[in-house]
Amino acid sequence: MSETANRTLTIERKFNAPIQLVWEAWTRPEHIAKWWGPKGMEVKVEKHDFRVGGKWKYSMTMPDGNAFISEGEYVEIEAPNKIITSANFKPMTEGVELQMLFEEESEQTRFIFHCVHPTEEYCKQQEAMGFYNGWGSAFDRLAGFVAP
Amino acid sequence: MRRDVFQAIADPVRREIIQLLADQPLTVNAVAGKFDVSRPAISKHLKILNECGIIEINQQGRERLCLIKPESLVPAFMWIDQYRTLWENRIDAFEEYLEELKSKNKNIQKK
Repeated sequence: MSETANRTLTIERKFNAPIQLVWEAWTRPEHIAKWWGPKGMEVKVEKHDFRVGGKWKYSMTMPDGNAFISEGEYVEIEAPNKIITSANFKPMTEGVELQMLFEEESEQTRFIFHCVHPTEEYCKQQEAMGFYNGWGSAFDRLAGFVAP
Repeated sequence: MRRDVFQAIADPVRREIIQLLADQPLTVNAVAGKFDVSRPAISKHLKILNECGIIEINQQGRERLCLIKPESLVPAFMWIDQYRTLWENRIDAFEEYLEELKSKNKNIQKK
């Protein structure tokens, strides 16, 4: 287990699509705009410099007029298998690292996603808040406008 | 005392109150009625939630109505287990979109 393990959120999926299509859908701006935001929310891809050191920036305008900004800088790109990028979700959280790994499995694609939180202390603080049960309905209602 | 969303959710009773109010606005009396805690204690929790910007308390005739301000919970929302839900939802949306792309591609090939 690496040092980052306990501050990392990991999600694994298998997509029923060939890796080239998955890669395209994940990395091309015209596609990103279609799935990045919650349903019914318009996503603007304001910057998309898809290369190591290149910056990306997506914005969403909430019904109340406030904007949510997701932005970051690509740290590693290995088409069609790997993307590592820094990410800030404003106004909520900054200094996250996202790692996306794609593996070909015949006509399907295994997808592993890691979201690495800034520091262990941060995670501990979050846990200490005691968010464990029973938040479902409240957050469902919020989910529409909280997606970074 | 600190007055922010983290202070607001530090207490289990306040968390429960937030959850109740996320479903519907309730009067102070109705909130108090849902707990075994004393009425002054509930009032104090509501006061703290109000000072933390989590709820509004509006006078309506004789009653005081508590309304949640969901946007105030955003900072807390981001850090926790729900972080997972959020990414799961996004990846779900991605997967759905992939299916759309696949069927579009098929149609193109047929033509």
